[in-house]
Amino acid sequence: MQFTYSKVCKLSAKPEFIEAAKSGNILARKCAKCSEILLATVYYCKSCGSKEFGDTILKGTGKVVTYTIMTVPPAGFEDLAPYAWVVMELDDSGIRVSGFLAKIPTPEDLPIGTPVKVTGFDERGIVLEKL
Amino acid sequence: MERESVCVLGGGSTKYGKLDDSISDITLQASVGAIESAGIEPKEIEAGYISNVFGVADKQVHLGPVVMSNLGISECPSLSIESACGSGSVSFREAFANVAAGFYDAVLVTGTEKVTHTGTDWTTTYFSYCSDFFYEGQAGASFPGLFASMARAYLHEFDATEEDLASVAVKNHENGVLNPKAHLRKKISIDDVMDSAVVASPLKLYDCCPFSDGASSVILCNEKFAKEHSKDYVKVIGSGRGGSPAALQGREQLTTIPSTRIAAEAAYKMAGITAKDVDFAEVHDCFTVAEVVDSEDLGFFEKGTGATAARNGDTKLNGSISINPSGGLKSKGHPIGATGVGQVVEAFEQLTGKSGERTVNDAKIGLTQNFGATGASCAVHIFQSV
Repeated sequence: MQFTYSKVCKLSAKPEFIEAAKSGNILARKCAKCSEILLATVYYCKSCGSKEFGDTILKGTGKVVTYTIMTVPPAGFEDLAPYAWVVMELDDSGIRVSGFLAKIPTPEDLPIGTPVKVTGFDERGIVLEKL
Repeated sequence: MERESVCVLGGGSTKYGKLDDSISDITLQASVGAIESAGIEPKEIEAGYISNVFGVADKQVHLGPVVMSNLGISECPSLSIESACGSGSVSFREAFANVAAGFYDAVLVTGTEKVTHTGTDWTTTYFSYCSDFFYEGQAGASFPGLFASMARAYLHEFDATEEDLASVAVKNHENGVLNPKAHLRKKISIDDVMDSAVVASPLKLYDCCPFSDGASSVILCNEKFAKEHSKDYVKVIGSGRGGSPAALQGREQLTTIPSTRIAAEAAYKMAGITAKDVDFAEVHDCFTVAEVVDSEDLGFFEKGTGATAARNGDTKLNGSISINPSGGLKSKGHPIGATGVGQVVEAFEQLTGKSGERTVNDAKIGLTQNFGATGASCAVHIFQSV
């Protein structure tokens, strides 16, 4: 059976998502039907079910929505501890992404609302820094 | 469609904690406990539902046929179901649906987990595979970290303190002391929680449930079958499931779990009751903040007031709503594939007068709520005494 994929977007855009993050950006998709903006790893629009999208590059700047300070780091993060794992909301689009922010010893170092930006994507995930 | 009335006829559990026996042994032990509690013969079982996540860590997956063979019913069909920490309740739901639809008269539902032998580092790594790994586990969020992020959002948004969260742990340990099968049977104080090591701020060690081994099992059947075998059965009057965005970043709010609300609404509707009719609830308190959020999402308290309710003692054993009379995941323990079935065992024992010192007085209706990961999947069930 022949499946028909969208001509606009790849089914799995993780490599492109990672490349964009390495340049400090977030690769998103804008629904051609309802204009909903979604991360590029999504293939059907959650609002209208369409899979016709146009790629949208969002600037990786925004504010901290919530976070934790990982004092007991999982394997592979020993070099960063204590670091923050952060959910941030991008400026303008309201899209949320998460990543890690190195060397945050106490909650006073990262109040909710702190401006942060995407600075890269290493072998682990999105790298964030305070603006 | 006319549904069969579905009943829980018997329940059995191993002790929860650090167990020496293998995963296939503990799965068998709990299953035999349920069969003997129900007063049935293994040959009366028509299907087996096994919930498990990390069987691979104890060198045994495909647990169903192993258990069925050891029960002397190797030709009985079985399957394994994985839905992270919510595996047990999801498996129970599938069993419920099949009995309700009339496919089977009686089935075995057993949840099981054996992980503590792998050590804390490996267990933490395995558990992180239950998150949306690309965005969360791989990017440095452990499960304490994910729930800590929810806790920080909760404390920021509502009038609540870390001490309020600690009161959930204190209460669940109080209940767990009364449960002979609980993993952590130790009374603790608010200071003990506040002084324990920070794992992922604002959560401390005593805000977190332990890694546990254990297995729990129930016999689920139609009412005709139940009546023919025992007086000690309870009716399943409500069943609901729901989903949420897999990653926290996909949720508009971080102080509610959508799957719980969806599952609860469906279960209450099926049962024809509201939250006010529930006498006790076994909820998913993998971390203290989770119980607070659950207690609101299930409709026991208004959004933002669950922490205050916990602080005021409303959720204590025989408080206005007894939450986690078993001790919950926090004290009873959290063998993740077994937890959802263990909650049903507790509901069965509470509603058939088998729960000893931790009995909820005059309880007629109990609710169980068990979710996977940060609540990406959830099932809620409602039980009524006969």
